[in-house]
Amino acid sequence: MFKAIINAGTLHDAIKAMSAVVDEARFEIASEGFSARAVDPANAAMVSLDISKDAFVLFEGTDGEIGVDLGRFTEIIGMADKNDEIELALDPDTHKLDISMGGFSYTLSLLDPSTLRNAPMVPALDLPAGITVSGSVFKRMIKAAEMVSDHTSFGVHDGVFFMEATGDSDQVRLDLTSSDLIAITPADVRSLYSLDYLGDISKGVGGAGEIDIHLGRDLPVVIQFELSNGDCKVKYVLAPRIESD
Amino acid sequence: MGSDIGDLFTRRETELTELRGQTVAIDAYNTIYQFLSSIRQRDGTPLKDSRGRVTSHLSGLLYRTTNLAHAGLKLVFVFDGIPPDFKAETIEKRKEVRKTADMEWKKALASGKTDEEAFTYAQATSRLDSTMVADAMLLLESMGIPTVVAASEGEAQAAYMAGNGDVRFAGSQDYDSLLFGAPLVVRNLAVGGRRKLPKKNIYVEVKPEIIELQTDLDRLGITREQLIDIAILTGTDYDPGIRGIGAKKGLSLVRKGKTIEEILSELNESIDGLSEIKEFFLHPDVATDYSRPLRWGKPDESKVVALLCDEHDFSEARVTKAIERLLASSDAMGQSTLDMWSVRG
Repeated sequence: MFKAIINAGTLHDAIKAMSAVVDEARFEIASEGFSARAVDPANAAMVSLDISKDAFVLFEGTDGEIGVDLGRFTEIIGMADKNDEIELALDPDTHKLDISMGGFSYTLSLLDPSTLRNAPMVPALDLPAGITVSGSVFKRMIKAAEMVSDHTSFGVHDGVFFMEATGDSDQVRLDLTSSDLIAITPADVRSLYSLDYLGDISKGVGGAGEIDIHLGRDLPVVIQFELSNGDCKVKYVLAPRIESD
Repeated sequence: MGSDIGDLFTRRETELTELRGQTVAIDAYNTIYQFLSSIRQRDGTPLKDSRGRVTSHLSGLLYRTTNLAHAGLKLVFVFDGIPPDFKAETIEKRKEVRKTADMEWKKALASGKTDEEAFTYAQATSRLDSTMVADAMLLLESMGIPTVVAASEGEAQAAYMAGNGDVRFAGSQDYDSLLFGAPLVVRNLAVGGRRKLPKKNIYVEVKPEIIELQTDLDRLGITREQLIDIAILTGTDYDPGIRGIGAKKGLSLVRKGKTIEEILSELNESIDGLSEIKEFFLHPDVATDYSRPLRWGKPDESKVVALLCDEHDFSEARVTKAIERLLASSDAMGQSTLDMWSVRG
C-alpha cells in the first residue's frame, strides 16, 4: 500500500536528480519513506535517493516496491506548478500509479520491478578529502571543464581544492581556497572523471544550495546534496577514469 | 576440457550491448584454444606466416578482442601458471589425442576426404607453445589490454578476481570457473556471432550467456562444495569421473545428502587424489600480487604492427583498421566501473 502527498517542486527535483543517471528505477516503499538506488548501464555511476516520510505532507506506505520509467514520471509531474501538491496512490488491483495534481488525474503504468536491474552493490570507499561548495559554483565548474575537454581532474593539494581540465588545445583550472568554499577537509588527492557523467550529474543537481564532494586518489567521487530541508537526500557515486601509466 | 556439468545451470542469454562497460577476466588459454581450433582454412590448415608459424590465435585475439572492446567490454586476459601435479595425466592424454588427430587429419587430406572431414580432425590438433603464449601476451599488452598470469589454472584466477571484485565476470566456455567460485560467469564472448554446428552445414546465432552461481545453487538446493562433488563424479580435468554418472545423476545422488566419499563407497568405486582435487577447487593457488586497479591503455600501433605485420606477415591495412577501431574504444576503456570498489549492499 502506498499513498502520499508531496510538494511538486521537491518531487520533481528528486526524480530529476535520479534520472540524470538512469532511465528506470526500482523504488522501495517502507513505513519510513521512499527510496531507490540504481546504477547506469555501464556501471560507472550510481545514484541513490532517500525521501523521508517527513518530506511528505501525507505518507502512508507499507513495504513494497515499484518500477518506474523516470522519463514518463518526470514529464507527468513536470506539468505541476512547483508549489502544487502532488498526490500519489498505488492502485493495488491494476498496479498502476495514480497521480493527481492541479485538477489532472494521471494513471502511470509501472514497470515490473523484477525486470529491472537489482540494486547495485554499494562501493566501500574511504575518501579522505571533502569539500562543500555552492550548487551554482559546482555547475559553473563543470560547464567550464566541458568547454575544453571530455574529462576533468578534481583534487585537493595544500588545502586548496582544484578542478583541472585539459583538452587537445585548451586547458582550464579553477582553484578554490577555504574562503571560497563552504567547508573543506584537506588531504592530498586527485582523481580524473568523465565529463559525460559529471555533465549529467550537474543537471541533476538542479537548484540544490550546497553540494558535498568527497574525493580520494584514483577513487570514485561521492557527490551529495539535500532537498526539502534535509528530508530528501541524493547521492551520486562516480567511478574515476583510470589512465594507463 | 572442463567439467561436463553445463546442464545444471540456467544460462541467461544477453546481448553484447547489455555488457557495455563490464569488466571480464577471460581465461586466456581457453579462448586461444578456441581460436586455434576454429580459425583455419577450409581443409583444416591453421593460419600461418611465411615461416610456417601458426598465427590463428593472433588473428583471433586481434579481431575478436577489438570487436569486444568496440562493444564497450573491458577484458583482462588471465594466462595459466603452473598446472597442479594431478593434471599431469590429463595433459598426457591430451597430447595423445592431438597426436592421433594429427595422423587422422593427414590421412584424411592424403585420401582425398572432404574438407569438412579433414577440418574436424584438424580442430583437435591445436597446440599452444610458449612462443605462441608470449606472442599472445605481447599482442594484448600492445593493444592496451591488461594480462595477468595465474599461480595455477587461469579459470581459478579469473574466478578469484571476479569474487574479489576486480572484475564483474569470469569469462570462459568451461564451467570450472563456477566450481572455483566465480559469482558471475559469461560465456560465448570469444566465439560470439554465428557458429557452425559440428559436422553439419548449419549455422546458429550464438549470444553471450550469463550464469549466476548463487542463484543456481539456491535453485538446485546444493552448496558449492556439493557442486564440486557432482563435477568430480562426472569427470573433471583432474579425474575421469565415474562411468555412468552424468551431471543429473550426480545431482540426485548428492541431493540425498551423501558425501562424495559415501557415494563412492556405496558404488565400490574410488577416485585418485579425491581430497586434493576437492581442496584445489575450493582453495586453488591464485596470484594476489597483480596490479590493481586494472588499467586499460591506448593501443601502441607501432608495437602491434611490428609483431603482426613485420614478424608474422599480417596485412598492414587490416591491422591498422583494427587499431583505429581499438583507439576509438580506448577512451571508454579508461572509465573504471563501480564494482571495482563494491561490497554487497
